[in-house]
Amino acid sequence: MLIFAISGKGGTGRSVTSTNIVYRHALQGNDVCYLDFDFGSPTAGAIFSVGAVARGTRRHGLHEYLRGDCAEPHQVDVWSESDREGLRTRPPEAGRLVLLPGSEGGGELSGGNEDMVRRCVQLFSRLNEEFDLCMVDVSAGRSYTAELVLNATARLPSIPFRWLVFHRWTRQHIIAADGLVRGDDGLLDAGARLGHDPEALRDRIRFVRTAVLEPDAAELVGLRDEQRAWLFACDQELRELAGRHKVGRTAMLGKIPLDPILQWREQIISDEDVLASKIANAETASAFDELAKKIVDDTAWEGL
Amino acid sequence: MTSVDATFGEVAAERRTASAPLSHVSIELGHLYMEDFEAGPERLRQQFRRVAPWAATVRTSWQDRVPGRRARVSTCFLIDDYFSRFSTPAELIPMVLEAAAECDLTIDYLARESACAVSDGVELAKLVEDRLVDDPSPDTNGSRPPVKETGWLCNGSRSPQVGSVQAMGKAQRWAPPVQNAKRGHSVFVDVELWDEHGGKRTWSCPFLAAVWQLLRLGLLRREGRLPVRPVPRDDAFPEDWESLPAIVQLNPAAAPFSAYTTLSVLSPRFLPVELAVRTILSQVAVDGDVLEQVAARSGGEGIKLEDELVDRISYVFT
Amino acid sequence: MLVMGEVHTGLLQSSGEIPESACRDVLHLMSGETVRLSRRPMIYAVSPDLLTGVDCRLPSASRSRIRGVGTVVSHSSITGGRVVQGSSYARVERAETDRRLAWSHYLARPGVIEVLGKAKSSDLGDGFIGDPQPNGLDLGSISARFMDVVQSSPLLDRRAPFKVARTKVRWVAQPGDPAIRFTLNADQTRTIRIAHSGDFTPAVVDLCEDLALHDWLLTTLLLIVERARIGGRAGPEVVAKLAPAVDHLLHLWMPAARVDEALVPYWHGLEDRMRFTAQWERLVRRIRDQLTLNDAAMLRSARHP
Ligand SMILES: Nc1ncnc2c1ncn2[C@@H]1O[C@H](COP(=O)(O)OP(=O)(O)OP(=O)(O)O)[C@@H](O)[C@H]1O
Ligand SMILES: [Mg+2]
Repeated sequence: MLIFAISGKGGTGRSVTSTNIVYRHALQGNDVCYLDFDFGSPTAGAIFSVGAVARGTRRHGLHEYLRGDCAEPHQVDVWSESDREGLRTRPPEAGRLVLLPGSEGGGELSGGNEDMVRRCVQLFSRLNEEFDLCMVDVSAGRSYTAELVLNATARLPSIPFRWLVFHRWTRQHIIAADGLVRGDDGLLDAGARLGHDPEALRDRIRFVRTAVLEPDAAELVGLRDEQRAWLFACDQELRELAGRHKVGRTAMLGKIPLDPILQWREQIISDEDVLASKIANAETASAFDELAKKIVDDTAWEGL
Repeated sequence: MTSVDATFGEVAAERRTASAPLSHVSIELGHLYMEDFEAGPERLRQQFRRVAPWAATVRTSWQDRVPGRRARVSTCFLIDDYFSRFSTPAELIPMVLEAAAECDLTIDYLARESACAVSDGVELAKLVEDRLVDDPSPDTNGSRPPVKETGWLCNGSRSPQVGSVQAMGKAQRWAPPVQNAKRGHSVFVDVELWDEHGGKRTWSCPFLAAVWQLLRLGLLRREGRLPVRPVPRDDAFPEDWESLPAIVQLNPAAAPFSAYTTLSVLSPRFLPVELAVRTILSQVAVDGDVLEQVAARSGGEGIKLEDELVDRISYVFT
Repeated sequence: MLVMGEVHTGLLQSSGEIPESACRDVLHLMSGETVRLSRRPMIYAVSPDLLTGVDCRLPSASRSRIRGVGTVVSHSSITGGRVVQGSSYARVERAETDRRLAWSHYLARPGVIEVLGKAKSSDLGDGFIGDPQPNGLDLGSISARFMDVVQSSPLLDRRAPFKVARTKVRWVAQPGDPAIRFTLNADQTRTIRIAHSGDFTPAVVDLCEDLALHDWLLTTLLLIVERARIGGRAGPEVVAKLAPAVDHLLHLWMPAARVDEALVPYWHGLEDRMRFTAQWERLVRRIRDQLTLNDAAMLRSARHP
């Protein structure tokens, strides 16, 4: 299964959320890999705390692979190469957790390159042989990268894939998420042109809300009544907006609460962070865990 | 207990390769296009008059190579019915035969060009296309699939794509194409093998000519068998080209159609085409078993053939 | 001088084992060439041999610059309708001149890479088996592509019963007193060195492919048993994890079945040292025990609900 992580806007929490989902999916016993296709700024290594590839790898990163400058992309085994003690011991029930970083100094890749599409097809089909799940961080907005993976998946009809569209719970993000999917030259439009069945493609797209602060959250206890009333009204307005833009509850796969530690640092939240050091909220960890199950739970993906 | 030497063989797992009867040399007396036909029988006679002395020379030189035996020489003539259709076999062939006879030439075999594309449902051209092994440029180490420009084949590396594939990256500057086996300077050749319009593929003239050379050298096989065999002529020639066999044997006493070597006597206007043919043929990997068969046969007759098949092909441009 | 090869092995990307006719269609890589197939002791189908041209640095343990030009022979195969291999090799021979010749010269010697200039056979062999240098001859990528053509065939449903990485076996064969050495490296790569008396024959390639096949079977079975976590979870869960091995792998173990008689002693030699079959049988017994235990438990709970 291939999962593509995209967002209408940058800085939504796409990378942090998708890396945490992948990590949880590995803990659930699956062999997983994470592909950093955010070519303009390949920093997934930092989230996994693999210092050596924090800004991409020096040898055989995904950029080089897709440009045709190396035969196989570099695979980083997070369980053994992470600098974080807590990630370096692979729990007995966990599957493989592998990162395919971009190239250090790599930039956005140009579109319309047939050889690149072929290499991308080769990459996806080889990884699909080896991993239960491949999470691909596709970067934000309409991009050559999104076009590349739409093109590649259209040529791999028998490899299952799904899209997660990440957005924050704000007016601008809701509109952008909808526009990216259903707008002109959005995922559905471009996908159809590249050979996808738009109906089938639509059924493979779900939204994920990130860094959500519920108006009745404990964090907001100290607010004045006026502020709280305003928040409730605002939340109600956003609900309506989301409904109108078809990113409401039915199209949503899950939401991740705002977590103070993620606000300060992009990182994997381990059980130790929740139970031992208690720096992370249990709700955040369980939201990731939940999503990690839902991405492969067919009942959560039945036609809308 | 004594041990028993047991063997087990499975027919399906073994590979059999039929062998072709072979002459010493196959001489192509001419290649007829619509424009030649339109120019009338005199054009044909001219062509045959030019060819006759060369054909005689080749015959004697082979006779010298096999003293005490008869040199096996066969002649053939190719008619283009692929790129343009003109006249009918019934009208055209007698005219060709007559013109040849006037110059004391015998045409042993007559072939249709379209048979080099498809013959009796066998796609000869496809057979050859699948056997192309691209001439690798220096620093080709196998890590990438061969660089292909679909439908084209060259003898070196093409100019690189100008520009950059990566945002803010260094741009690739123009560079000239380079011949792989150049000596000092390049003679870069890029040959169009086919084009496609409305889903229909048209093979190029050089590609069909390459198939034609391989047929004459007896080097093509399909599932181990010979893909085309000459068919003796009927009393009358048919009214349409489709009804004419791919290769017709006109002379019942002819030496075999295929041969160790070929000679083509052509007008110099075919020079670029033949350069393209050599470019193609030098990238065709002939089945190893077939090559060995031919080497064994010729060796048995005390004839040492050139290793490279392009060296078994010769031309006279006149 | 020597022969170098690399075999990649992996699980065919289909939900079940595919029949003979599908093997033929999937391996039909060249028009006019039939897929060779044998049925005993199990179905083995192999594509025609195809050539790939190379002109590049050859491996060298001393890191000397050695240029080689020629062709690599490759084919894809399917064993038991279930296991795919992509295999490539080339014979390395000294060229008569130090200059690169016309391509037709190399095509007249299919499967031969000619060394331009000086090179020592042992230096080449050690370089190939040891740490390969970037931009040097890359037989692995060629073999990987010969696996890809099979794996991406539209005739396969791509619903393989489990996920598993491909294994890579690099091998070198040189003339000498008969000897074989198999080395397991940390990643998915293994190396084999063979010394053979007399001339090289493609039977050596068959031997390496057969070893690669069995090494993959063993590696995969070990992985499945590890993933099942026997004793670490409930019996039925363990059994569910072991099931794919029973359904798809256990019947494929047939060492040296396709190996030329003259080379069978190499297999036996390795067996004596590495105890491949003993390890395989132990794993199989362990799996069977789990199934039996689970059956017994189910019977008991059925009787005393
Ligand atoms: N659940 C959360 N709670 C609090 N902060 C979060 C949460 N998720 C993400 N963040 C923070 O939001 C910021 C943006 O996150 P991230 O880098 O994952 O976004 P992105 O969509 O990948 O951005 P870009 O488009 O730049 O790659 C980071 O500082 C991250 O730590
Ligand atoms: Mg990001």
